[in-house]
Amino acid sequence: MAAVATLVFCAPGYPGGAGDAQPFVNQFATASAATAGWPAGSLAAVYDPTEQGGLAKLGSVDAALAFVPYAFFVQHAAELHLTPLAQADVVGVGPQERWTLVAKIGAVTGPASLAGYTILSVAGYAPDFVRHSALEAWPLPPDVKIESTGQILSALRRVAAGEHVVALLDQTQAAALPTLPFAAQLKAVMQSAPLPVAIVAVVDSRLPAARARALQAGLLKMGHAAADADILGQLHLQGFVLPQLPSHTAAP
Amino acid sequence: MKRWLGCTLLALMVVGCGAPLRPTAPRPLPTGSVEELAAAIAADAKRSDHEPDSKIRSELAAEAGRDAEACLAREPQAAACLYGRAVALGLEARAHPMRAGELLNTMLVCLANAEAADPNYDQAGPARVRALVLIRAPGWPLGPGDAEAGLVAARRAATLRPQYPPNLLALAEALAKTGDSNGARQSYEHARDAAQALPATADRDGWLREADEALRRQ
Repeated sequence: MAAVATLVFCAPGYPGGAGDAQPFVNQFATASAATAGWPAGSLAAVYDPTEQGGLAKLGSVDAALAFVPYAFFVQHAAELHLTPLAQADVVGVGPQERWTLVAKIGAVTGPASLAGYTILSVAGYAPDFVRHSALEAWPLPPDVKIESTGQILSALRRVAAGEHVVALLDQTQAAALPTLPFAAQLKAVMQSAPLPVAIVAVVDSRLPAARARALQAGLLKMGHAAADADILGQLHLQGFVLPQLPSHTAAP
Repeated sequence: MKRWLGCTLLALMVVGCGAPLRPTAPRPLPTGSVEELAAAIAADAKRSDHEPDSKIRSELAAEAGRDAEACLAREPQAAACLYGRAVALGLEARAHPMRAGELLNTMLVCLANAEAADPNYDQAGPARVRALVLIRAPGWPLGPGDAEAGLVAARRAATLRPQYPPNLLALAEALAKTGDSNGARQSYEHARDAAQALPATADRDGWLREADEALRRQ
């Protein structure tokens, strides 16, 4: 019987405790292993909502696969030797998303005017992603701080109140901006190119190439099988596509 | 992917507190007084807190929902029934996370109505539970979570019933969530002191344990 590989799900900054998510990732592991033609029980899954917890789990020798937001991938691909297998196709978003920098109206006119500002974002734990992916087109002044927050509503209130902060929003957050009562005080000042939403990757070549190829083929099929729809839907997914990484993404 | 669980909280519809969320097969509503029905809901909630089996939690949620419906049919404006409905919705949200967004929003409506009817009900329960929902639920735009609004509600509960340990624990949690670690520590200490001043019960032991564990993590 093949050794059990573990798929580590990690989504820093997003809601969902480990206990809440575990049944869903278990179902996903079972279904994706079956679709890939792996023996039953040969793929386990574990969820961790924190960056540090996710890194610790990915450091374990049985952690053969990672399922992470693209920001996490950019920040840690080199150190963890992540090799992308597939890109998640997310319900309501798609396989790619744009990130939007939001400032108080009239306060920020270009990258230079961000001097002394703090960028607050759910992806703030990944400063390389913020600087070199989401804000690639906006070279940031050296004194700009980048902070992680799971309280994006509070961050936007601070922006609207005129504090020296801006918010970097994912596509879902940016789309909901007009629903805020203080939306008129905010302005989207910059939008990223389309970037992957989330990546499934092999960790440090811990999966034999043939098994990795089989899993990749299985993942790409998952979105087309009606039986998988519920399992994918629980993770807000509609399928997978081949990785389409921007050219600047660091090679592992 | 990254929105798993938050993922489940996208359908944010607000419906009226008294309206059943799903059509159910007709069956006789439970009997009993408002007080008895409210007590039954509270008992279901307490049992659900310690129940590891999701199927049983789902049954408890359904039972609490029927009791709340019966209570509201009896006295639609009673704080006990509105509050009971909110608690039942919380149990249902836990049992059915795919519908949690819709359920939690309705729960907040019920809590607002209950607080308007009697803010002191269950030791300032409407404000306290409101605080906990706002602190713990996924935040905008995925869910109704709003830590700052949660802090306002927690302060309200602690002002109304300052010696009731759960109000102080909720306030401490809200302060911690909004970044005031000193305030959170003080509030956990107040909660511990307030609990120690009470006669020994299982509830008091639980409050003491929660305060002590939080203080150790600080």
